Amino acid sequence: MRMTNDEIIRIINNALMKEFELDKEKMVPEALLHDNLELDSLDRVDMVIVLENSFKFKIREEKEIRDIRTLGDIHDFVIKKIREVERAS
Amino acid sequence: MNLTVFPLLVLMTAVGIVIAFPLFIILKIITRLETMRVIRILVWIYGRAWLTIIRPFTGLQKEGLGKNDFKPPCIIVPNHLSFFDTFFMGALPFTNICFAIRSWPFKMFWYRPFMLSARYLDVEKMTWEETFEACKKELQSGGALLFFPEAHRSRDGKLGRFHSGAFNVSVATGVPVIPLCITGTGDLYPPGRRYFKPAKIHLAALPAVDPAGFPGPEGHMNMRHFVKDIMAGKIERMKAE
Repeated sequence: MRMTNDEIIRIINNALMKEFELDKEKMVPEALLHDNLELDSLDRVDMVIVLENSFKFKIREEKEIRDIRTLGDIHDFVIKKIREVERAS
Repeated sequence: MNLTVFPLLVLMTAVGIVIAFPLFIILKIITRLETMRVIRILVWIYGRAWLTIIRPFTGLQKEGLGKNDFKPPCIIVPNHLSFFDTFFMGALPFTNICFAIRSWPFKMFWYRPFMLSARYLDVEKMTWEETFEACKKELQSGGALLFFPEAHRSRDGKLGRFHSGAFNVSVATGVPVIPLCITGTGDLYPPGRRYFKPAKIHLAALPAVDPAGFPGPEGHMNMRHFVKDIMAGKIERMKAE
């Protein structure tokens, strides 16, 4: 069954909140990963693993990941990736 | 307590700085160790002196910190409650310890030359790749690394989020992690307070955690969760004592 964007966003937020012990109030699309969520470069590597496990896809080689700055960028990136996978299958 | 500890701390630091150079020369001649190692011995002696000063006000209790409990190379991960946590590392059973810490302690001009000479790692200033290479070199040369996995001092006494650095290094190098649980230093001198209060301090090193038990790309994350869980459990028991 096709996941809605809201469902995808909820899964992303829950996975990141659990892994990085983030407060729910901080989980707004404009939150900067480094400045607001205090995720460093190593956390970004872990974040990719968390997302891969949550959605069962591989994204660690994707160049776009390097451009991600905000939580909203993650939402957009994952939604785009899921839609690509859906189209391909 | 404050009328005793603060003057003694200043005196200890001033005397330490004055005698550091002659002591360094003597230790260098006797031990023939490289400069960095001799400075680490001096820092450890400073920590020991601190333990002597603070002992009457803390009833310091140590557990798992005997000479044969663990040895370098290893990666020590203490929880972080107070600026003085690093001073209590004088309780560790060996001297060859490389602190991997944030930038601000390097700004204290009276400690900075010692920290640089001891080749402590400023993990905020270095890239992860630089930090990782330096850590690897340190462990290969038989030293111990010390990371505060929470990165910051806890403001509420609770164990904060653990960062991955120490566990990444452990999994990549195969060197075990030593969880070091601290209670009481947050009562002694917490962030934001500028005076001491007597406190019951307890340091407990848990058995080494072998990274071999955490295979795969998520190994460091699983190890991080595991270490945090066992530390949280131990800290709760220590607080309840």
